[in-house]
Amino acid sequence: MTAPSLGVEIGSLKLRNPLLAASGTCGYGVEIAHVVDLATLGGIVTKGLYMAARDGCEAPRIAETPAGLLNAIGLQGVGIRAFVDRVLPRLREHDTAVIVNVCGETVEEYAEVARIASDAPGVHALEINISCPNVKTGGIAFGTDPLMTRDVVGAVRKASALPVIPKLSPNVTDITVFARACEEAGADAISCVNTFLGLAIDVETRKPRLAFGTGGLSGPAIRPLAVRMTWQAARAVKIPIIGIGGIASASDALEFFIAGASAVQVGTMNFSRPNIYAEIESGLVDYLTRHHIGSIRDLVGTIRYPR
Amino acid sequence: MTSSPPSPADRVCPLVKRESLGGAYALLTFEHAGVAGASAGQFAMIQPEAQGDLLLRRPFSIMDTDPSTSRFTIFLKAVGPGSKAVFDLREGDNARVLGPLGRGFTAPAPGERAFLVGGGYGVAPFALFSRGLREAGSAFHLFYGGRSASELPLVGELERRGIPLTLSTDDGTRGERGRVTVPLMDALSLVPGTPRLYACGPEPMMRAVAEISSEKRLACEVSLDPWMGCGLGTCLGCVVKIQDEGEPRPKNRPACTEGPVFDARRVVWEKHS
Repeated sequence: MTAPSLGVEIGSLKLRNPLLAASGTCGYGVEIAHVVDLATLGGIVTKGLYMAARDGCEAPRIAETPAGLLNAIGLQGVGIRAFVDRVLPRLREHDTAVIVNVCGETVEEYAEVARIASDAPGVHALEINISCPNVKTGGIAFGTDPLMTRDVVGAVRKASALPVIPKLSPNVTDITVFARACEEAGADAISCVNTFLGLAIDVETRKPRLAFGTGGLSGPAIRPLAVRMTWQAARAVKIPIIGIGGIASASDALEFFIAGASAVQVGTMNFSRPNIYAEIESGLVDYLTRHHIGSIRDLVGTIRYPR
Repeated sequence: MTSSPPSPADRVCPLVKRESLGGAYALLTFEHAGVAGASAGQFAMIQPEAQGDLLLRRPFSIMDTDPSTSRFTIFLKAVGPGSKAVFDLREGDNARVLGPLGRGFTAPAPGERAFLVGGGYGVAPFALFSRGLREAGSAFHLFYGGRSASELPLVGELERRGIPLTLSTDDGTRGERGRVTVPLMDALSLVPGTPRLYACGPEPMMRAVAEISSEKRLACEVSLDPWMGCGLGTCLGCVVKIQDEGEPRPKNRPACTEGPVFDARRVVWEKHS
């Protein structure tokens, strides 16, 4: 029997394997290239990019919680033009798909960032950040109102011929409403999900542990929540879902595929185990072989859910 | 000390030696060829291989290296769950070690005297730094302070190495009574020339040393210790406020890749105290 196939397609985006590094956990890729062989990844999703450079939130910005990480970084970044001019040429040297995470404070800014990213050689897809909980304008505001979601996805769709992948916020009552809004606005796929809004308090000082106050919770603590939302979103739309939330092993990734994800992103674990991809990939191959499944594509959405 | 350190390597490696120094303090020696080539002031991110529910590695300053045996040693105080998990490792246990990381201390110019100021477990990098200073023939002195005698657990180790040392404690149970900056000021009034200052320890201590350097117009480097998530410059959790010449305002810079050692003049203290 030949080795099972891990290749997947997200719209016109072809990935050698379905493992992506999540936005905000791998910088612009080049920062980790001396430690991680980027060719072991299907692709990387860059840190969120606005038109202008941003300095982000005050410190402290991170706090570890049980099986989780609470963060309020505030989308510190170099801005899209500096990324295209100074970072992308170095990133292009690596054999991996590049997905640019597009941010904006207005619909027009999203569209402009998307246009600049699309014009740059070596960008393979756009992820639209409508779900960052740690900025005062934009971000999650676009991802928690279905009409704003539709408008921003539609504007990026018009501005770019690349695959467009909105990243949904889990901080909504019914994620299927937002998944459908994205599909109707022309999205090629959906990233599911960003961090959960959280608050950790230092009881001695009675202050939040993060300078920003609230933050976004990630890591294995959120995995069952994210798997549930992936399952819900996958049943609501026909476009592919990219599952995200606390993946730390092949088994974790498999949960997302079975729930309906066509690809997955590894996030928080990039911080402590940047070389986790080879381990996850071999675990996926072992599983598919053991279950006589020829391709990871054949596993997607095969959950045996009680009726 | 002048050769550039190796690029970081992420490896599972064994704890080969563990020496308790009493209380929450211990010396841990790991086998990791990359980190064994670290320069003074650099650090490694470490967590047990069996990480359990603790996600992030913790940063530890390199106290000593032995490139010939591919070993390096950290001086550790268990202060929270992450450092406690490393503290609890036994000889033969494996750890995930990423390093060497960051920018270390700048060596003094030939003939320039170095005053090292270590507070609490912040004294760690000065053991390695002292070795380099001695090899380079630089005059140096280490001021080591803590709240009380029980918080100076590295004294025996430093004395064994013959490092010229002045001790101080806030409560007077060991060495001079008072802040570590008191004997530092005394020494500065005695020595000729312009010594270069290096500080690593609690932030108020480093800030006090930085203020002394500013008043006396001495070069000064400080090793900052913010919460750190990854060590690679990707999580951007460990940013510190840095004011550079020509910049209109201070900027958030990751301490893991641009530090942890910074020229004290660049550090904007009030923002992260």
